[in-house]
Amino acid sequence: MKKIVSIILLFAVVLFSSCSKDDPVTTIPQEVITTLNYTLTSSTGETFQFKFIDPDGDGGIAPTVSSEIIPANTVFTGRIQVLNETLDPVEDVTLEVKEEDLEHQFFFSSTLNTTVISYQDQDASGNPLGVETGFMTGASGNGQLTIILRHEPIKDAEGVSEGDITNAGGETDIEVSFELDVQ
Amino acid sequence: MYNKLLIFFLSLFVLNGYGQTETLNVKGYIKDQSTGEPLEYVNIICNETKTGSVTDSFGFFIISDLYSGHFHFTISHIGCETQLVFADIETDTTLYFTLDHTDHIIDDIVITGSNIPLSTEKFETLTSQDISDSGYKNISNILESISGVSTLKNGSGISKPVVHGLYGNRITILNNGVAQAGQQWGNDHSPEIDPLVANQINVIKGTSSLEYMGSNLGSVILVQPQNIGTEPHLNGKASYFFESNGLTHATNIQIGKKTKKIGWRLNGTIKKGGDKKTPSYFLNNTGTEEANLALTLEKKHSEKLKTNFYASTFNTQLGVLRGSHISNLTDLEQAFQKEKPFFTEDNFSYAIDAPKQKINHHLLKLKSSYFLTDTNWLNFTLASQLNIRKEFDIRRGGRTDTPALSLKQYALFLEGKYHTHSNNGWKINSGIQVNIIDNTNDPETGILPLIPDYISYESGAFVTFQNSINMSLIEFGFRYSNFIQNVVTISKDVNQQIIRFQNIYNNLSGSAGWRYKANENLSYALNVGFGQRSPGINELYSGGLHQGVSGIEEGNLDLKTESSLKSTFTILAGISNHISFESLLYFQNIGNYIFLEPQDEIRLTIRGAFPVFKYEQTQAQIFGLDINANIDFSESIKSTFGYSYIKGKDVTNKVALINIPSNVLTSKIDYESIHAIKIGNSKFENLGFEINGRYVFKQNDITSDQDFVTPPEAYFLLGLEMSTEIQISSTRLRWILKAENILNVEYRDYLNRQRYFADDIGFNLITGFNLKF
Repeated sequence: MKKIVSIILLFAVVLFSSCSKDDPVTTIPQEVITTLNYTLTSSTGETFQFKFIDPDGDGGIAPTVSSEIIPANTVFTGRIQVLNETLDPVEDVTLEVKEEDLEHQFFFSSTLNTTVISYQDQDASGNPLGVETGFMTGASGNGQLTIILRHEPIKDAEGVSEGDITNAGGETDIEVSFELDVQ
Repeated sequence: MYNKLLIFFLSLFVLNGYGQTETLNVKGYIKDQSTGEPLEYVNIICNETKTGSVTDSFGFFIISDLYSGHFHFTISHIGCETQLVFADIETDTTLYFTLDHTDHIIDDIVITGSNIPLSTEKFETLTSQDISDSGYKNISNILESISGVSTLKNGSGISKPVVHGLYGNRITILNNGVAQAGQQWGNDHSPEIDPLVANQINVIKGTSSLEYMGSNLGSVILVQPQNIGTEPHLNGKASYFFESNGLTHATNIQIGKKTKKIGWRLNGTIKKGGDKKTPSYFLNNTGTEEANLALTLEKKHSEKLKTNFYASTFNTQLGVLRGSHISNLTDLEQAFQKEKPFFTEDNFSYAIDAPKQKINHHLLKLKSSYFLTDTNWLNFTLASQLNIRKEFDIRRGGRTDTPALSLKQYALFLEGKYHTHSNNGWKINSGIQVNIIDNTNDPETGILPLIPDYISYESGAFVTFQNSINMSLIEFGFRYSNFIQNVVTISKDVNQQIIRFQNIYNNLSGSAGWRYKANENLSYALNVGFGQRSPGINELYSGGLHQGVSGIEEGNLDLKTESSLKSTFTILAGISNHISFESLLYFQNIGNYIFLEPQDEIRLTIRGAFPVFKYEQTQAQIFGLDINANIDFSESIKSTFGYSYIKGKDVTNKVALINIPSNVLTSKIDYESIHAIKIGNSKFENLGFEINGRYVFKQNDITSDQDFVTPPEAYFLLGLEMSTEIQISSTRLRWILKAENILNVEYRDYLNRQRYFADDIGFNLITGFNLKF
């Protein structure tokens, strides 16, 4: 009896270890966001960039975050660009966000209270979206600029259309912070 | 704890009578299977003639004025499930019924019923009546009534059982003798079993389950379906439930028949429920839908060969609280601040939108038994399972209808068992088993899978020995298992390389137990078991953002096999005829215990910063105590008290283990009317009232750096139950009314992940009908 069992087991081990799984279908993730660019353009046409890039997604190589020194007491127009650079050609996710404008909203906050950021665009219901913004600097100083993209926020909740994220709910698709250096 | 009142119709002997007269008398005796004591106040009714009788203090009954023919007898006794028995009566006849009326837990000592395995390990049994009276609940929530069993939940619809602090891959759930195959690793993955198919559920709070495949760290849950029985006419059961909380409707129909050629039984369940409600708001998107069907066929080819076929399909859709779908830590912290979860609406709805789970589980099983002699037999089982799990998240770009997780698992199980008795009384049970699991991600998700594709092969052999010597029962056994995992992973970098792994594990387990019956009122059982569990696929290879928990989980390729040593000590004692108690003390030491350890790293991603958790190993200890006490104030007024105490320690890091249940105190007082109550022409039998309470202590062992928020406060839930039965011609109607959380308390439970976002459910009124025909 024991002999039979051990023979069967041995047979099973040989048989099973030889079968293996087919190669999985590698999918190129479609929903990845690798890059956020926030570009400020002054009235003179000068541009300043805030850039967050994480080409390999979560984990792996740490993302690179960069920002430029911006002049004090200046009015800019701000524009957000969101990209998926894992795809070839690179996908401009901003278009998807604009298409689903009712389900998205960017939120901006600065620890430097002399900076004022305002919404310059609207979704189909007249609520802000935040791809286009107005950006105004005051006196020079250092701080932090945080940009958040919320998916399915409750846009009619209190304060949300003024850019207050507290009651927005939903799910964070992007949350990045930049050094803010105003001189 | 539900009343442990069991009733088993075990044997029906039709003794020859003589004296052919025009009218016949049927008389008989009903005795308690366990104690041999006559059972008083058992109602026997002949359905065809509507005449009946009640047993006297000798367990004796007589029904006169019958004629020859086929008859059905309804046998009912307080607190037991009513039985329908068929008999051919041609002459004056004496019927003997043995009913297992285990009124007290103390009676477990003398278990001899064929359906309850005789063991030195602690068995807890939920009877058909317990299950069918709770038919509106899912299987885990039904099991919660057993002391030492808790549930790990994500809302009320998604829950999995926790036995003595272990769950998921560390306990084994057997559905009709086949280890449930599915995505057991997920904390929010419920077992895919319809409890209403079960006639009996046993929980072995044991040390090492050698007979069964799967992890052998201790406890096993056995789900046993209804037998076909001996009834040659179409018979069955229909039940309906309504729950006020969630406006849930549930229906179950069972029909069956035993013919000379074949016996069959068909069981179907449909359930639909909407948003549950806390005392003050709706939990949006917490509805459930379920549709299940099971078919059993039984054929006796000869006296020696019997074949049993079983097919079941389980299909469900479960909503997850909308407000619990969050991304990073900021979202989570914001959710904690809210009194009501985000997206709470004022209106009730049956709609189930994303986030949701959609699961289909199909099982086919063929089992043949061949009896060489009365005490030697062989069993062959072939079973296959298909588990399809799709989880939907809220996604961008119209992808919400595309699952974010889509897994298909196919399992094939082969088993040969041999059972024999030696001349000197040893019962020897041995077997070999092979289980193949093929797990594949469906690329439809467009997301890199959380766990990789794999095929695993488990082959095992076991042998157990058992013998009764004087007042002792002794058992011991061994198991050897070989595991081969062939895994194909996709690297998480941009190149998406395919990397293959092969893991081979050899696991040994063994256990020994001794039960000693000191006297009629006192018995002890001691059990020691060693078991091993090789690391799960998710523990080795999972990787990435787990949105549900706001963290990045990382598998660990260096994990080794867990080794557990568990001891249990049980005392069953009867202090007097009216007071009895049992206590189960357990201590488990798990070396290389695998757990998710928060790392020092906070990882920056474009979605914000996430804490990193990695599967690590430590030395763990789990110990606890389950106590149950029964006090009978009179024949009709009885009470039960239960207390479960448990502690889990990470010995190496000197902290508590996470997800260890809170201590629980339960109590209940029953009033059962022995005599039927007549109101007008209706006769209400088996009338019962129950008041029950459940006090759940605060989990105080978790420190603030082990969880995002401190564990919730202690809470107390009060409930009421009422039930009665009436006979309407040849059918028997049972009516149940229950009220849960009567005080409508606001509470949160430590083992419910939804506690981060919302309160648990409030007042719930349940009514149910059960018709036996």
